[in-house]
Amino acid sequence: MKNIFALIVLALIFTVSVAAQDSSDHKHMDMKNTHHDMKSMDKTQQEITRNIDPKTAASIKEIVGYYLQLKDALVNDKSKDAAAAGKEIIDAFEKLDKNFLSPEQKELYVEVEEDAKEMAEHIGDNAGNIEHQREHFDMLSADIYDLVKEFGGGQTLYKIYCSMYNDKKGAIWLSESKTIKNPYYGKKMLTCGTVEEEIK
Amino acid sequence: MISKNVIKKIAHWILLSLIIIFIAIQFIRPDRSNISGQTLQTDISKTFNIPDSEFSILKNACYDCHSNNTNYPWYSNIQPVGWLLAQDIKNGKAQINFSEFGSLSRRRQISKLRGIENQIKDGTMPLPAYRLLHKQAQLTTEQKKLLINWFRETRDSISLNK
Ligand SMILES: [Cu+2]
Repeated sequence: MKNIFALIVLALIFTVSVAAQDSSDHKHMDMKNTHHDMKSMDKTQQEITRNIDPKTAASIKEIVGYYLQLKDALVNDKSKDAAAAGKEIIDAFEKLDKNFLSPEQKELYVEVEEDAKEMAEHIGDNAGNIEHQREHFDMLSADIYDLVKEFGGGQTLYKIYCSMYNDKKGAIWLSESKTIKNPYYGKKMLTCGTVEEEIK
Repeated sequence: MISKNVIKKIAHWILLSLIIIFIAIQFIRPDRSNISGQTLQTDISKTFNIPDSEFSILKNACYDCHSNNTNYPWYSNIQPVGWLLAQDIKNGKAQINFSEFGSLSRRRQISKLRGIENQIKDGTMPLPAYRLLHKQAQLTTEQKKLLINWFRETRDSISLNK
C-alpha cells in the first residue's frame, strides 16, 4: 500500500513539473518590439569602403557594445551580469533590419546570427554557471569576429588570442583595448593573451 | 481532539482520490509519432564517418530524443512517463536533431559538435533526470570517452578546411 501511495505522489509531482516546463518553454517567445530611434549618422570612411548601410552599422555597433559588456562581465567573474548581457545580445541581433543588407552580406549575417543567438541564449540561461557561459563565449567570439570583419565594429577592436583555453586549443576574444584582461579565466589568469590583430 | 478514526478516514479518501487521478491521467495519451522509419541523407552518420561502436552508443543513448526516430520503451505507455518523454523529445530535437545534422551550416555544425562534447564531458547530457528513467542513456566512462573523442575529432576535421 505504501509503495502504491509513493508511486502516485511521484506521478503527481512529475505531472506538475511537466506542466511547469511547458509554460517555461514560452518565455523566450515574447520578443520586445522596441523601435529605436537611430540618430542620423555620418558615414564613416569605413562604411563607405565596406558599403554598409548606416542603419546596419548602428545595429552592429549595438551588438558589439553588448558583446563587450559580456566580455567585461566574464573578466570580472560576474556570471549574472554576463547572463544579462547575453540576453541583450539576442535583442540587438533581432533589431537589425535585414532589408538593408546586400545579398552577400545577408548570407553571412544570417549564418552568424543564427549561431550567435544560440550562444547568447545559453549564456543568458546559465547565470551561476560561469564556466559554461565561457564555453559559449568562445564560440560567440568567433561569430562576432566574422561579423566585425565584414561589417566593422563601429570602433577599433583588437582580436586577442589565449592559447591556454579549450584544452590548449586556444580561443580568441575581441576587446576595445590592447590591455589584456582575459574573459576566459577572470581573476585566475587575467593577463594571459596576446594581441593578434587590430580591426578598424 | 480529532479521533484516530477520522484521521484514518481522511487518509483513505486522499489515497482513493490519488488513485483515481492516476488512473484518469492514463487516458491522456501524449504524441507518440516520432517514428519516421527512415534514415535521411542529412543524418550525422551520413554526414561524417562514424565507427559502428560510436554510432551504436549514440543511437542507443541519444537518438530517442535527438532524432526523427524514437524507440519508445514499453513503460512510456504509463503516464506521466510518456508525457515526460514526449516533452524530452520536443526539447531535444529543438536543440539538436541528429537526423538533420547535415543540413546545418558548417558554423553551426562546429558549435553543435563542441556543445555536445562539452555536455557529455560535464555530465549535463544525457540529462540526469532522464538517465534515472532510461537505463540505455546511462553511459559508462569508456563510452563517454569514445563519444567525446569522436565529437572532438570530427569538429577538428571540419574546422581545418573551413
Ligand atoms: Cu549551453
